[in-house]
Formats: sequence, structure tokens, C-alpha cells
Amino acid sequence: MITLNVNGKSHQLDVSPQMPLLWALRDKLNLTGTKFGCGRALCGACTVHIDGQAARSCSIMVGQAAGKKITTIEGVSGRVADAVTKAWQRLDVVQCGYCQSGQIMSAITILSENKKPTDADIDLGMEGNICRCATYVRIRAAIHEAAKTLT
Amino acid sequence: MLNKQHPVRKTAIIVISLLAAITVLPWAIGMDREQTPAFGQAESLDAWQKISTVLQHPRCINCHQANVPLQGDMQRIHVPLVVRGPDNRGVSAMRCANCHNAIGNNPTSGTPGAPHWQLAPISMLWQELSTGQLCRMLKNPQLNGNRTPQALISHMDKDLLVLWGWNPGKGREPVPVPHKEFVDQMKVWVAGGTACPE
Repeated sequence: MITLNVNGKSHQLDVSPQMPLLWALRDKLNLTGTKFGCGRALCGACTVHIDGQAARSCSIMVGQAAGKKITTIEGVSGRVADAVTKAWQRLDVVQCGYCQSGQIMSAITILSENKKPTDADIDLGMEGNICRCATYVRIRAAIHEAAKTLT
Repeated sequence: MLNKQHPVRKTAIIVISLLAAITVLPWAIGMDREQTPAFGQAESLDAWQKISTVLQHPRCINCHQANVPLQGDMQRIHVPLVVRGPDNRGVSAMRCANCHNAIGNNPTSGTPGAPHWQLAPISMLWQELSTGQLCRMLKNPQLNGNRTPQALISHMDKDLLVLWGWNPGKGREPVPVPHKEFVDQMKVWVAGGTACPE
């Protein structure tokens, strides 16, 4: 049995330590806000937080995440998360929406470490999150907008 | 009749005597089986040539880069783009451990993994060095992480990120020399005086 701490709750799962964390979140814990995109850590749709750091849950294995604090889009909270989600709504960032939970999780990580990121900081930090609707301009603007409310 | 030995018994005594002689002989003439044989510069240089085929392999070179790691046997720029950052492990939402597991390769996503996945320190940029330049860089304590020759052997023998090069996961070619042979060559290189080609 493997114990996962997800969104503040402890879960006992009878799964292989090599199972991708995304499988456990979606198929075992029914937390479907985190999306499957490429399955190879290339698109960022599956981004969650592990001990506060953005992580690709399709690539991080359950055995690696055990004992750590896992947060999904359903469980994010706090000042930075509020600023980001409000900015996302104000600027109407989302188009089809499939990648957006991953985009938001990465944006929260960036702003948690850097309250005043430059365009270059944002581009580097968001490099692993792909949007096929190409909402990149609004994503970057929303991160700047959220940063303003944090400083 | 009593003194006559059975042929089988006689053969057994001869075989045992021979075995005993073979076992005792090295000590009798002053050889210690535990003693490391003496190696000179020629053996050290030969060993270095084998060592360099490992160190210049994509499994090593790909992360001994200035700011951005390379990826795969084709050595393309890492996709997605990642950069060194202040601790050699990436920046903000793009850190190495966000995808690379410390517990090993991920057989589902294909993402490789090992403990302390990172770019090599900035003093250890190996791209486009000749084997002579690489050799001199490797043995320079100011560039090699302040390692003695013995510490270099230990690093190549035991560091789990180094060992990943022999078990890189599906779709990636392992380094070309078996690990034990590689460590033995390191020992010969060191014993012979860490000789470097021009």
C-alpha cells in the first residue's frame, strides 16, 4: 500500500510505485481536474504541485510522490492562488480550457517564488505548458495582472 | 603389497600436490595477489582512451552543458526548454525534478530518472573538448569539484546519477563500456599517473 497526501487528505492506494501519479489522481481518486495531454511530460496539462513545486503528474511516479504534499487544481488555495484564478477570470484567459488547470498550477509556482516576474521569467517558467488554442498572450498578461495584486 | 598405492589414490595425491603448489607459489616468490600491479604512463594513456569513450557519450555529455541540457541519442536541445538556474536544477516551474524521478526511469512516460538529476556544475563543461582537454579538466581539482584521483574513481563507481548512464531506459543507448570494466580502467588511469594525451 502507498500513502498519498492529496489536497490535505491521506489516501491509501494499492498500486505499483511505478504508476504515474496522474493515473492515481484521475482513476483512483477521481480528481479529474488534472488533465492527460501527452503522457510524456511534454505538454504540461497534468501539472500539479508536489511540496509546492509544479510537477508533471504523468511523469512523476506514485512512489516518488509518496509522503509528500500533493496539491491538484481542486485543492489550490491561498493568496497567490486567489490572485491567479481571479486574474484568469478577469482577462477571460481560457479558450477550450483543456490545458488551463496545468497553466494555472505553473503560474502559481512562478508567482510564489517571484512576485514581480518579467516577460522572460514568465516565458521560461511557463515553457513546459502548451496551449493549442494559443492563449499565451492572455496567460502572460494574467500572470502580470496577478503579480500586481500581490505587490 | 601394502606399500603399493592404488592408481586412483596416486593420481589424487599428484593433483592435490599440484594445486597446493599453484596456490603457494605466488607467495613463495614474493607476489601478493592483493597487490595492485604497477602501471605506467602507457597503460594509463590506454586506459584514458577507453574512459573518454564513456565520458564523451551522449549519456554524459548531454548534461555537461553550459546552460541548456541536450536530449536523447540525437543530442537535440531539451524539449521543453529548461535552463540551468542558480543551483543547476532549473528555474521556477521548470525544475529538473518536476519530471525526472529520483527513484528511477519512468517506464510509462519514458522520462529518465535518477537521484539529484541536474546539469553538471558550470566548471565541468565537456562539450567539444578534445580527449586531452577533457582529461586535463577531469583531473584538475579546481574544475572537478575538488576531487582527488581516488575520489574520481569513487564518483564513477558509486554516484547514482553517474550509474544511470548504464541503465538509461528504453530508447536511449547506454554508455559503451561495461561499468566494472570502466571503473577498472579508471583505477589503471590513476595508478599510472592520470596520463593525458596532447
